[in-house]
Amino acid sequence: MAPSPVRDQTSRNSTAGGGLTPGMIRLLLMALPVGVFLMALILPGYMFETDQKPTEIGLGPAAWPRAMLLALAIFSALWIAQDIWVLGRAGRTPLLRIPKEDGHYHFGKALVGLVMIVLYGWLLSVLGFAISTAVFIATWCVFGGLRKISVVLPVSVIGTIALLWLFMGLALMPLPRGVGIFGEFSIWLLRAVGIY
Amino acid sequence: MSALELLGGGFLAAFELWAFLTIVTGLLIGVVAGALPGISFVNAMAMALPFTYVMEPTQSMLFLGGIYVGGVFGGSISAILINVPGTPASLPATWDGYPMTKRGEAKRALTIAVTASATGGLVSALMLAFLSAPFASFALKFSQPEFFAATVLGLVSVIAIAKDQPVITMVSLLLGIVVGTVGVDPLYGQARFSFGIPEMESGIRFVVVMIGLFAIGEVVDLLATNRDLRPKKADGKAVGARLKDILYVKGAILRGTGIGCMIGLIPGAGATPGAVIAYGIEKQVSKRGDKFGTGIEEGLAAPEAAKNATTGAAMVPLLTLGIPGSAATAIMLAAMMLQGVNPGPLLFIMDPSMVYTIFAAMIIANVLMIGAGIGVAQMFSTLMRTPPAILAAFIIVLSVIGAYGVRNNIFDVYVCLAFGVLGWGMKRVGFPSAPLVLGVILGPLAERYFLTSLANSRQDWTVFFTRPISATILCLALVFILWSLAPGLKTLFLRRRS
Repeated sequence: MAPSPVRDQTSRNSTAGGGLTPGMIRLLLMALPVGVFLMALILPGYMFETDQKPTEIGLGPAAWPRAMLLALAIFSALWIAQDIWVLGRAGRTPLLRIPKEDGHYHFGKALVGLVMIVLYGWLLSVLGFAISTAVFIATWCVFGGLRKISVVLPVSVIGTIALLWLFMGLALMPLPRGVGIFGEFSIWLLRAVGIY
Repeated sequence: MSALELLGGGFLAAFELWAFLTIVTGLLIGVVAGALPGISFVNAMAMALPFTYVMEPTQSMLFLGGIYVGGVFGGSISAILINVPGTPASLPATWDGYPMTKRGEAKRALTIAVTASATGGLVSALMLAFLSAPFASFALKFSQPEFFAATVLGLVSVIAIAKDQPVITMVSLLLGIVVGTVGVDPLYGQARFSFGIPEMESGIRFVVVMIGLFAIGEVVDLLATNRDLRPKKADGKAVGARLKDILYVKGAILRGTGIGCMIGLIPGAGATPGAVIAYGIEKQVSKRGDKFGTGIEEGLAAPEAAKNATTGAAMVPLLTLGIPGSAATAIMLAAMMLQGVNPGPLLFIMDPSMVYTIFAAMIIANVLMIGAGIGVAQMFSTLMRTPPAILAAFIIVLSVIGAYGVRNNIFDVYVCLAFGVLGWGMKRVGFPSAPLVLGVILGPLAERYFLTSLANSRQDWTVFFTRPISATILCLALVFILWSLAPGLKTLFLRRRS
């Protein structure tokens, strides 16, 4: 029996799913509305702090979020129902479809990129804006395929100083300076480039 | 004196050297600030406010007006080039503008956008000059139920961008509205969904969500696909827009301008609902509506015209009634009051030369915006020639600064990064992120107007349907939903019959 065109599409898109099998992708896509549905049911219980009693004047502060969560539960239930109906009737893919990529999608590279971005955000308050930004730009450039030190180094250092001058010097934005020795280095650098 | 004579006098005053330079400076600041994600033109206007102390009242309005006009367009530059809207109103520019950039038609997309924006802005500035008085009396009839109805219209217009997934689009929109409920509620002052984190009590800002969802996902995809965003030449032809392209979208520009003028008049509605509604309507009207989202010129032109058409229209309630319709016009109101000028009907009698100089400046600013917009866009377009790795690194850093700069708080950076990871995941599974962003932007407004409407009417639910304007707008919203869903329902019905 020839496979259905929809199934074929799922197989073709498996690279976009990071090496997951079509069955796993289907399961993942079907788990999403279930997760949203459960979240919509559970969240009203966590709306206020335990020691906080919502006011009872008028509709109260809980009315709008409750109504929206109820609507969310209804629509996600509809989504689940549609997914089950589609799968049961014709053996097709769920409503959500993984978009086709024009070229090859390097899933592992994307995950490393995400980790680098999250690390950069976390290190901002520890190392300060100057050090973390220079390190991040240099690392990202190398990871992105730029190997020439004569390009990477000036881009990261001059770029960071230009950003410091623009945002801390001109726009007077108090960007993080870091803690301990990193904070002291940031202050020294800011003095050196004439911002402080 | 007639309005035409007063406007002539306004032009003479606005073309004086210092006045003209003030408009140009404001315009350039606005376009650049609007184009930088997270550094919105409203922030630029707020930062420029102290500089207006040393200016004459008229000059200060020319300066802020220039930033306003330039900034509303500027947001589309980053939306078209890097898929990161510089301002919330530029969100629709990512839907059809960025696919054009991916095809190597960035220059063409920018030219269409700036022409549409300038046309929209120019028409609304002319409307401001000649129709302020009659519209002022109409705007007076608007109250909280009408604002709520207008916001609902903006929210339901998301159905138009649903493609063939209305249920998933609604889930995304509702998720955005729920995110918008985090923090202290607008009427009772009680914190919701703070989970014991003090920073959460201040809420989650839409700018932070927008930057995270759009910028980070896009940059990671740029890394994973080694995509080249450099302008290409297709079939040997130049990729810039030709007059033929502009004439092709003239209908979309006119419709967008009309919608923008109407939405802009409503205090509190602003450019975002104007642009989204214009996109939705254009999708229904256009012969290529089913292809919207793939880089269709009408899909870019209509919302661009609409968002700039709201600038002149939003000035009507400000100047005639003293009611600021948006954050930008609120800053302009503050500048006027700091100068000892009280906007309202009396201003037209006491100082008509000032009022008409502002009108003339708005017209001039919109004409100059074509040059300024193309110039700044060219500068940004040149930046696209830098290697993708360098471009991506700087987009991330600018996004982080943009998120941090909202409240000078590192917590916003964490929220931005969390939404960035979420946005990347959503993109990978084909879950639409634009409705979520729209929900975060318009949800809190809808809640505020909804609760205050009910509080003012002693919790009478019928208030939304008994007031004629509110009822009409809500009917329009219903018509819009049916209109958007009609093709899908028709197909379903025909399939059932066959």
